[in-house]
Amino acid sequence: MAKVPNWQLGRDMEYPYAADRPKKQFTMIMDTNKCIACQSCTIACKSTWTWGKGQEFMLWNNIETKPYGFYPTGWDVNILELLGEQEWDGDVYAGETIFEAAPEGERVLGWAPAEEDWSHPNIGEDEPTGNAADTTYIPDNPHSMMWMYYLQRICNHCTYPACVAACPREAIYKRPEDGIVLVDQARCRGYQECLTACPYKKTMFNLETRVSEKCIGCYPKLEQGLQTQCTTSCIGRLRLTNYLSAPDEIDPRKPADFLVHIRKIALPIYPQLGLEPNVYYIPPVHVPTKYLTQMFGPGVEKAVEMYRNAKDDPELLGLLMLFGATERIMHTWDVTGGVAHAYDEEGKEIVAVPLREPTFVRPFEFATEVAGEPMTGFRHNT
Amino acid sequence: MAETQITRKDALLYGGAAAGGLIVGGAAIVAVAVAVDNKKPPVEGAPIVAPYVEGDLPTMDPGADAWKRAERTYVALAPQKIAQPFLDKAGVTSLDARALHNGSEVALLIEWDDDAVDDLDGIRRYHDAVAVQLPAKSGAPPALTMGAPGVPVHILQWRATWQRDIDSGGKTGVDQIYPAVVHDVMPDDVLPPDTAQLYWVGREAGNPLSLVTRSTPVEEVVAEGFGSVTHLSRQTVVGHGNNEDGRWHVVIGVPSKRTVGEPLAPGTSWPVAFAVWLGSEENRGGRKHIANWQTLVLESK
Repeated sequence: MAKVPNWQLGRDMEYPYAADRPKKQFTMIMDTNKCIACQSCTIACKSTWTWGKGQEFMLWNNIETKPYGFYPTGWDVNILELLGEQEWDGDVYAGETIFEAAPEGERVLGWAPAEEDWSHPNIGEDEPTGNAADTTYIPDNPHSMMWMYYLQRICNHCTYPACVAACPREAIYKRPEDGIVLVDQARCRGYQECLTACPYKKTMFNLETRVSEKCIGCYPKLEQGLQTQCTTSCIGRLRLTNYLSAPDEIDPRKPADFLVHIRKIALPIYPQLGLEPNVYYIPPVHVPTKYLTQMFGPGVEKAVEMYRNAKDDPELLGLLMLFGATERIMHTWDVTGGVAHAYDEEGKEIVAVPLREPTFVRPFEFATEVAGEPMTGFRHNT
Repeated sequence: MAETQITRKDALLYGGAAAGGLIVGGAAIVAVAVAVDNKKPPVEGAPIVAPYVEGDLPTMDPGADAWKRAERTYVALAPQKIAQPFLDKAGVTSLDARALHNGSEVALLIEWDDDAVDDLDGIRRYHDAVAVQLPAKSGAPPALTMGAPGVPVHILQWRATWQRDIDSGGKTGVDQIYPAVVHDVMPDDVLPPDTAQLYWVGREAGNPLSLVTRSTPVEEVVAEGFGSVTHLSRQTVVGHGNNEDGRWHVVIGVPSKRTVGEPLAPGTSWPVAFAVWLGSEENRGGRKHIANWQTLVLESK
């Protein structure tokens, strides 16, 4: 085991290979608050990459309802239970990672989903949780204590992938140019060790080719400067495909660095597992902090506060407005005159979005005149 | 019998000497019984002596009469605990091995208890298999680590899935794993074969594991240490396996002038090791049962 720095844990940790950060790291930022679980991303991914025979059950991208939705079933609660209760000491993780907790004879603490666990991607969909006595069915309490939210899931293209750690053949690798984690389709011998090791359960076994496959970060698109299929198909405009700098090379002009390291509004998922996952989530603002802290680590309260105040932070608001505004990958952005501008690698503008859309308020009389008869309220002109 | 344990230390220090295996170099061992009583229990620690037989070897028939000419050797198996990932517990403790040769080919018959036939690969669904390991060079056996850098070993692996590939004409995919499956339109329904192939990336990438159309259920690989198994571009090994009465009977036939290493010539003896996988026990890759080095004696003509 090597000692590697994990900035998400605030400490070094054990990992089977020495640290070797890529030149830049593929990342995705998800604003969980905007998702309606329409699964446009899921279908975009499925119809692009996994519609072959042998991939029937595969969803490299999926949206699940938390806390009762899982794909595969129980993916997160199972590894959390295996790992046992762990503690954060402020921003420093005081517990064990899945590498440090690996039993004898294993490189990673893991569990293997049964085949039926992959068969219910919509399990728990839209099921809320909370105190039933405080539900919306009680008229006096319209702001329910019941809650649920949608979690957007792709491969985290981790800095310290468990799939890489567990593969006895070194058939999984992390691209040095962008940190994307890939299964070498010619080298894999189908042992499925990666399926057991990956705590996010984002490697999958192809039933026809008998080798493992996984989210490829749409690298053929990235290589053309384009965002992934799941990002560009998102009707809620909640995703941003971007690149994250190494923790000692943070550049506040870069969108992902700004969101993750400067404003700290986007947080890693289950950082305590120790993989340094590279999909970052803006946490849902309506969910109990205790639950969110377990999922996104100790920065949750500040991230929620930051999001609630985004309206007063033009730089942040402008960047959030640029999510989903272009298929191109944004390298820098700025906000001038109430308009957010995104720029490519050469500094050329690729899109501009106003922070506030122009609005026109129809007078009440107008609505009544159209109908030609007395009206008691507005009517949508659809 | 007590479960055999092969520790990492044993393996690294010559595997061979440990398990009571003889370390036999090029010396010819000649004395061999010609007619063998098959009801006799197999002998532990005895060399696996391959009598010379005239004509074709029964490489496709584990039940052939010719096998009665070879004496069974009992080979102890132990869970692999040298390299991660380990096999936790043994599902089988021994195999029986015997061998024949005809001067140009060597055949081994390997039998072990397994009443669950696992011959499809699916999600958390693994196959039964057996492998024979022969060093590239005769003489003292190398460490029991599937070779080492500069010390290649020649490995012949039979898999139940590959046997079913052959027996069924490649019908070993989704439709067999889930017989009630209903497919929507698949790439191979609507695209020309060359284009549809792109959606089976393992096959398109040339991974031999991804093929279901094959001519032999045995794969020939070379390895220089754990995790280094490399498919040989020329495949010359044949075989056949069947499961009867809760027991696998697998024949593997290798040409004496083999693809890797020195020829398996009459009158020579070789270190030989085995590995067995039980699919039902989730054995795969390094999670396997291994035997320490045994001695394979190829009788003179």
